[in-house]
Amino acid sequence: MQLQKDTYRQQSDLAKYCRTNILDDTLKVRHDRVHHYRRLVYNVVNDSLISAYPLLNNLLSETEWASLVNDFFATHSCQSTQVWKMPGEFYNYIKSTDLSLKSDYPHLTDLIYFEWIEVEMFMMEDIEYPLFKTEGDWENDQIAVNPEHKILQLNFPVHFKNSKSITKEDKGEYFLLVYREKETGKVQFTDISAMYGLLIENIVNGLTLHEILLALKSTSKFENTDQVVAQIIPFFNALQKKGFLPGFI
Amino acid sequence: MNKNVGIGFRKDFAEEFLSSDILDPAFVELAPENWMGIGGYWKKIIKQLSEKHSITSHGLSLSIGSPEPLDWDFLINVKAFIKEYDIQIYSEHLSFSKCDNAHLYDLLPIPFREDTIKHVANRIKEVQDFLEMKIAIENVSYYTPVAAEMSELEFINTIINEADCNLLLDVNNVFVNAFNHQYNAKEFIKGLPLDKVSYIHMAGHEQVEPDLIIDTHGEDIIPPVFDLFDYTTQRVQPVPVLLERDFNIPALHHMQSEINELEKIANNHWNKKHATSKRYISTAV
Repeated sequence: MQLQKDTYRQQSDLAKYCRTNILDDTLKVRHDRVHHYRRLVYNVVNDSLISAYPLLNNLLSETEWASLVNDFFATHSCQSTQVWKMPGEFYNYIKSTDLSLKSDYPHLTDLIYFEWIEVEMFMMEDIEYPLFKTEGDWENDQIAVNPEHKILQLNFPVHFKNSKSITKEDKGEYFLLVYREKETGKVQFTDISAMYGLLIENIVNGLTLHEILLALKSTSKFENTDQVVAQIIPFFNALQKKGFLPGFI
Repeated sequence: MNKNVGIGFRKDFAEEFLSSDILDPAFVELAPENWMGIGGYWKKIIKQLSEKHSITSHGLSLSIGSPEPLDWDFLINVKAFIKEYDIQIYSEHLSFSKCDNAHLYDLLPIPFREDTIKHVANRIKEVQDFLEMKIAIENVSYYTPVAAEMSELEFINTIINEADCNLLLDVNNVFVNAFNHQYNAKEFIKGLPLDKVSYIHMAGHEQVEPDLIIDTHGEDIIPPVFDLFDYTTQRVQPVPVLLERDFNIPALHHMQSEINELEKIANNHWNKKHATSKRYISTAV
């Protein structure tokens, strides 16, 4: 760096002011105008976060929201060069920071995770699909899976219950299949049971339904696998129509 | 009539733009940061866009004026983006948007000083070497100088010369700065290294105080800025011209009428030189 100490200090103080709204008197700027920089910078951050987290923004009071955004931007050093990724840093900040808001809203972390996943999956780079055929046998063939998916495990039902009415009593285990439609790029959410979550994970790992059920039978989880298959096939057919299980390998 | 004027691409009008002929720009400008490393719906849109239009790029996050080292990982991605879409122009702002290892997502003014000139010029050279192309650096709008020890004009001129880069002349920014800092816009333009101008930006702005204009890109271009563009086109070689409209986006036919107005002015002075939108934008180092 060829910069003089004072030059660096001036740039650093201006940047700090934009992040914290605390102006150092030694900053050599027009003090009647510099506030526009704080306003412009803050608006970019605030608008991006509101756009990424409409449910969280709706849940919190204006004061709570402003305080959260202020604290995040003042204390966290944003690393992403791409502004659309910055809300992902906000999610990680909330997850890893001890916030009193989390006592008031026990589902805060789940809610922001749920909202961030939608943004991330909508924007993420394409993942190549495996080669597959559309005809096959659900039980004995290896099943092709839309690679652009995630299975979320949540502690609160943020995906189907209004955030303002969620309480501690709602705490439980909720599973959610999230995937991006190949043709439209839309992100779809499907509420699933823990067992279906496990099933999909094993299918992704390359096991056939027959192999999965044999393993489950050996652990005595299921006695009557025929009955289970009869329940699963309609579920798979529905997922095939939705493009999540496009076919067979 | 030659086509010189492009449009800054926005998600707000993407679908209508691609599915109609209402807007007929010479080229389309993208900010790499908004489009690189993505997939899904927007990746398909950008692919369609690049099949239909020439693309130029105008960066936001390089932060050429930062005190800290260049972000090479970012530059690797920019280079790949430029290659993927066969982009002939990469431009950036003469400002900083990152300091103390934190991005700010807006453009802050660099102190007009000798040491920042050396620092920034060296960084521009490094970027040009890495990208294997000359880049164009934009004169930015600013609302307060920061610890300035020289004039803005001297600062810009020296950097462009020392870095041996091109100048992206933002005519609206000259108007905004001339108003905000009380200087003569035409004299300022006359004092720039006009032989280095490789790209022009045009936009609208908003006056927020009796003595302050903010460069919003959210309004129509006003007549005095069209006049300044007319003045500029008489003094520079034919180059691509961009209409920037980032907020308060009007109907496409309205933006096309602004493009037509710019084309008319440009062609008044440039038509004898047979300008094309792609002819002037490829300048390998």
